[in-house]
Amino acid sequence: MNWKVCFLLVLLLMLAMPLASAESGRELIENSSGYDGKTVSFRGEVIGVMIRDDFAWVNLLDNEGYAIGIWCPAENAKAILFIGDYSHVGDSVQVAGTFHMACAEHGGDLDIHAENFIIVATGQEVDRPTNLPIAALGVALMAVAILMTFYLRRIRKEKQKILPWPSY
Amino acid sequence: MIPSLTREDLKIIGYNLRNAFYITGVFLLVPIVVAAVYREFNTVPYFLIGSALAFIIGNLLSFFLRTEKEMEVKHAIVMVALAWLIAPLLASIPIWLANATASYLDAGFEAISGFTGTGLTVATGIDYMSHSINFLRHFLQFVGDGVGILVISLSILGRTEMSSVLAFKGESKDVGIRPSVVRTSRIIIGIAVTFLIIGTVLFTIAGIREGLDPGTAVFDGLNHSMTGYATGGFSTHSQNLLYYHSILFEVVAVILMIIGALNFNLHYAVLGGKRKEILKNIEVKVLLFWLLATGLIVSANLLNTNVYSSVEALFRKGVFHAISAQTTTGFQTVYPSHFALVWPALSIFVLSIAMIVGGSANSTSGGIKMLRVGVLFKSFKREVKRLLLPRSAVVTGSFHHIEDTPLTDKVVAGAALVAISYIVFFSIGTMITAAHGYSLEDSMFETSSALGNVGLSCGITSPAMPATLKVTYMFLMWAGRLEIIAVLVLMGFVILGLRRGIKK
Amino acid sequence: MGLRKFSLRAFLKKNFDFITGILSEVGLTAAIMVVAFAICVLLVFIMR
Repeated sequence: MNWKVCFLLVLLLMLAMPLASAESGRELIENSSGYDGKTVSFRGEVIGVMIRDDFAWVNLLDNEGYAIGIWCPAENAKAILFIGDYSHVGDSVQVAGTFHMACAEHGGDLDIHAENFIIVATGQEVDRPTNLPIAALGVALMAVAILMTFYLRRIRKEKQKILPWPSY
Repeated sequence: MIPSLTREDLKIIGYNLRNAFYITGVFLLVPIVVAAVYREFNTVPYFLIGSALAFIIGNLLSFFLRTEKEMEVKHAIVMVALAWLIAPLLASIPIWLANATASYLDAGFEAISGFTGTGLTVATGIDYMSHSINFLRHFLQFVGDGVGILVISLSILGRTEMSSVLAFKGESKDVGIRPSVVRTSRIIIGIAVTFLIIGTVLFTIAGIREGLDPGTAVFDGLNHSMTGYATGGFSTHSQNLLYYHSILFEVVAVILMIIGALNFNLHYAVLGGKRKEILKNIEVKVLLFWLLATGLIVSANLLNTNVYSSVEALFRKGVFHAISAQTTTGFQTVYPSHFALVWPALSIFVLSIAMIVGGSANSTSGGIKMLRVGVLFKSFKREVKRLLLPRSAVVTGSFHHIEDTPLTDKVVAGAALVAISYIVFFSIGTMITAAHGYSLEDSMFETSSALGNVGLSCGITSPAMPATLKVTYMFLMWAGRLEIIAVLVLMGFVILGLRRGIKK
Repeated sequence: MGLRKFSLRAFLKKNFDFITGILSEVGLTAAIMVVAFAICVLLVFIMR
């Protein structure tokens, strides 16, 4: 009998879990009314963490460029290692929770109150190497600009000594 | 008879444009400091290239087009109109090199949106943008719109008072606050820097309180202070101010937005001790009226249609965006598609009107401007009075703007002309947008956002926007910043040259 | 020495004017926000 109960429990757990396929940011934002108040799942890269007492805001950016704010317990946010920016790839997070088109608790913001918060992958540092040809071009052009300024100024000074202002 | 164009005319314009190149070259170097702070050394060459090109072209103009002739009004206006294209063109180089946008056209769009203080963005991956390039976007709004750097540089570097005064006139700031243009420019810079510091401090405090780490709080604080005071609207994140989910942040933003929408003359008077001016000034009164009226209508409409139902939401979404629109800032805490799909048509319409009407004259705001609206309103009153009184009665009027000014027909005509120009361009822009398949209300909204240099978007502006529409909005942003008349003068100038050729 | 005649009174007055000026401006924005907020309260009260 024991394994039957186990099997049933696992089945129940699987059904209770949020839908395996996460809704895309675009879906949630453009069809907000359809999801308002419902449980959704969303996956994205952390681009912002703001801890406010016992809770926190975590802004997640999905791979299509849509970002949504997640309201979650502070412990979840504190577990985040990397926040995405120019030199970092942020942690990848999957959340499931109640979606609000205009959250009454948060002054009308669109948000997701997370019930399930899983850090799926850790982020990392990103190297941004200098593009040598561009760097060389930059230095070269600057040198040209500076030399030009001095050269032209010299020509003008010399012309001033020889002639009055020439009329072009 | 309008005299034909001569080679000398072109030389005068070209020669005086050298300053625009020089100043652009200088301010394109400033983000290098930010790059150094954040160790983004790979971005430094982008700014070197842009800056160097600016200096090189400036030098070429200076050397080959040298002329002693004085600028006249027509030269000044054409020069300013061109300068407002040149600076963004050069600023687009680092933006494009850094791959902050999908194409070169987008980089140009972003640069013009920055420089004119609009805030419509087509940048991709803003959340991953380098600090230096992101800073450049915000800095462009501060120097281009917050300080009006071109005019100031022209007035400081301009050779004589006359050419400086004319350059000022070209950009529609009245010869100002003090008789000396150089003095006026310094005052404008001083006021801008003052509020920049105050804004940065307030945003930083708010940021830290709301959970940002100090470094981010300062960086975001500085940038939002720049775009808040400049009533620009760019943000360091793709979610704009929604990123912060914070009423504190929004309140600080509102403080800066309203201050940025106030007239420089008013700031000078008030900071110099004449505090009563705040209550007497016509523009403050008109602005107050429009802000509250727009806020009321939008909030009531949102409440009525059940988009938002709490007091906090009405304030943070309804009133906030009414203020953002009226001051022509463009800070947004609502997803663009929500303006299009969720918000009711009346609110969108009212916001469009608010964006076209704009903020105060001689401020960082865009639009027709409060002063003109106030003048027109008063002239309507006067006209009705005139018709109600016996024929022999003489009706005059005046308005108080720093000092009491008589409401002459010339003043009214000037205001009416600009207002009509805006409306015409608004109509054409809306038609062009609608022709691309967008709904009328969305077209109106986005067009007024571009023309009024606002930056609120209902989703039309995006990297995927048709190229023809991008060019249209770039033109509208540029025209709006110059209050349209200067653009018309430039067009007249070009047509004159094409029709009659350029004489020796 | 070349020092301009320094008037402490003038200096303090200038700064006082400046600071009170800033406060008045911020005060104006605060007043606008308060009125706007009151409008929202009224709206919810009337329409709910």
